[in-house]
Amino acid sequence: MTPSILVVGERLSGHLTSATREAVGVALALAGPEGSVVGFLAGSSLDRSVTEFGELGVTRIRTREDPRLDAAGAGAIAVSVVASAEAVSASVIVTGGTEFGRDLTGRLAVRWSAAVANGVTEATWADAGGLRVLRPVYGGRATETRRLTGSRIAIAIRPHAFAEPTAGAAVAIAEPDAGPEIPDPLLAARRTEVAAAGVSAGPALSDASIVVSGGRGVRDANGFRLVEALADSLGAAVGASRAVTDAGWRPSSFQVGQTGKAVSPQLYIAVGISGAIQHIVGMVSSRVIVAVNNDSSAPIFRVADYGIVGDLFQIVPALTKEIRRVRGLPAG
Amino acid sequence: MEIAVLIKPVPEAETRLRARTDGTQLDAEGVKFVLAGYDESAIEQALLLREATPGSKVRALAFGPAPRTEEVLRAALALGVDEVTWVESPAEGADDPGVVARALAFALARVPHELLLGGKQAGDDEEGLVTAAIAESLGIADFGSVVNLRVDSASGSLTFQRATEEGVESWTAPLPCAIALQQAWNDPRTAKLPNILKSRKMPIAKIPWAEVSAALGEAARPRSVAERFELPPARTGAKMIEYKSPEEAAETIVRLLREEAKVFP
Ligand SMILES: Cc1cc2nc3c(=O)[nH]c(=O)nc-3n(C[C@H](O)[C@H](O)[C@H](O)COP(=O)(O)OP(=O)(O)OC[C@H]3O[C@@H](n4cnc5c(N)ncnc54)[C@H](O)[C@@H]3O)c2cc1C
Ligand SMILES: Nc1ncnc2c1ncn2[C@@H]1O[C@H](COP(=O)(O)O)[C@@H](O)[C@H]1O
Repeated sequence: MTPSILVVGERLSGHLTSATREAVGVALALAGPEGSVVGFLAGSSLDRSVTEFGELGVTRIRTREDPRLDAAGAGAIAVSVVASAEAVSASVIVTGGTEFGRDLTGRLAVRWSAAVANGVTEATWADAGGLRVLRPVYGGRATETRRLTGSRIAIAIRPHAFAEPTAGAAVAIAEPDAGPEIPDPLLAARRTEVAAAGVSAGPALSDASIVVSGGRGVRDANGFRLVEALADSLGAAVGASRAVTDAGWRPSSFQVGQTGKAVSPQLYIAVGISGAIQHIVGMVSSRVIVAVNNDSSAPIFRVADYGIVGDLFQIVPALTKEIRRVRGLPAG
Repeated sequence: MEIAVLIKPVPEAETRLRARTDGTQLDAEGVKFVLAGYDESAIEQALLLREATPGSKVRALAFGPAPRTEEVLRAALALGVDEVTWVESPAEGADDPGVVARALAFALARVPHELLLGGKQAGDDEEGLVTAAIAESLGIADFGSVVNLRVDSASGSLTFQRATEEGVESWTAPLPCAIALQQAWNDPRTAKLPNILKSRKMPIAKIPWAEVSAALGEAARPRSVAERFELPPARTGAKMIEYKSPEEAAETIVRLLREEAKVFP
């Protein structure tokens, strides 16, 4: 079998995102030496990203130059993605696990009649046919293995679950595709503004590789600054328990948990958070969890890998200082 | 405005998860099902929009088996939703997101929906794609991770923000469209007892699976098979850091994170 796999490229400030790079790695592994991987790009000024695809070892890129697609919903882009998938006889479409990628697989489930899965952490060909995928479910409290059947499969991978491929040096050729007409209703919305992520300057919460979260233990809005300083020392995103967002110390966009965001970073540091189940379900799939709490019986220690029992007002500043020291940053 | 809200019954957060004996999926025996967290927020959002736009109606739809689906629909009625539709699911294959989306899209032909509201993702399967798939079936645009949804009454269009990797985006979109909400209402309304009692007697429009599958034909066939449902090995409890001073605690944890857990350089 010589599978053809289409990777949908996403760009941030003109460059391919890390999510797309991870998707390329997955596609290359699935294609194997016999199969082929084709990139897809839509929007304007695509040349630089065509080159970047080449540097990852993908040499054939379907491009849809159309400035309307720079700020369009996944529905408009899905029209061209499907046309490209058909043009290269793709049997699998892979996207990064971003908001866009997850939205796109939903559109492809119907537009391309695809078997679909989001949040994929493993993907292998199944002997019985199709693709076997592993996905964390229930906030990471369980995993499910599904077999996606048929000759049209679309997956969005989970952020940080796969390594980016090591850079090659191939030259990529763009194959411009005028593509089918995009129905008007899919282009009618307008993006009027993009503001940098959140109140803090850190990376977006759901995509961050390190998250530092604070809870009621910080005592007030001012106390929460200790959490932000620690995050800053690590280049981490800042999260919060619902006690913090309910109290209005930080906006609800910071909330991690059942009714907030689900995060799965490499490192999650919980400061002054008790570990209620509604918080746990949003962060338990983090790779390494550190908890700082002055109550040794706090339930957060049951899911943590490392625990420090102590007063956060003493521990956190010392930790921030030590991290800044080892990372060679000026004392904050 | 005609608002349709998609609500999914999911196991309540405290559920002790376990696999069925054949190991393929969750054992739902004895599990209590409730409204998915984001869907509860979607209902709250719909009711707020109805209050802001006189003459609006809010209708909820759920796809699933008895009795859990009926229960969450009654919960929606008790919260103040005007009408509800139960789209019955088959015994097997009901977890394939393509089937879920097509069945709900079929049902939506009977439910007015200038605005279609869903949750960002359901707390069980966490696919986060059903709302987009329904929008594709209906030929309308969809937007995910939406917060601060408002209706501009002069133009009749929606304004909202989306939290994406790029930052916070502001959008204006005409109706009809589909929205997957990420709003965390920290104080959604709770149902009052008289309304709970009243909801028990309110009608539920039911669409039997036989009808859905006859209409959809080949499209109702699941495209995926559940093979295994596993619980990760329990975390064995934290390694507790021994220390005499905060500085020592900091040094120890940083060393462990770098050398043992290898999480930062
Ligand atoms: C339907 C529903 C949905 C929910 N969704 C969410 C959600 O999405 N996310 C979420 O987080 N919660 C959610 N909750 C709320 C959740 O149940 C808890 O109430 C909340 O997580 C508690 O936040 P906390 O841990 O910050 O506060 P607390 O439980 O009050 O814990 C504070 C902790 O700080 C410690 N502490 C105090 N002082 C210090 C100090 N000086 N040094 C060190 N430690 C200190 C205490 O020992 C304690 O463990 C939800 C609840 C419901 C009912
Ligand atoms: N069985 C269902 N019945 C009604 N709505 C659903 C169902 N499954 C998913 N949805 C809607 O789609 C959203 C996303 O679900 P999911 O794609 O499964 O993560 C949910 O928050 C609901 O609004």
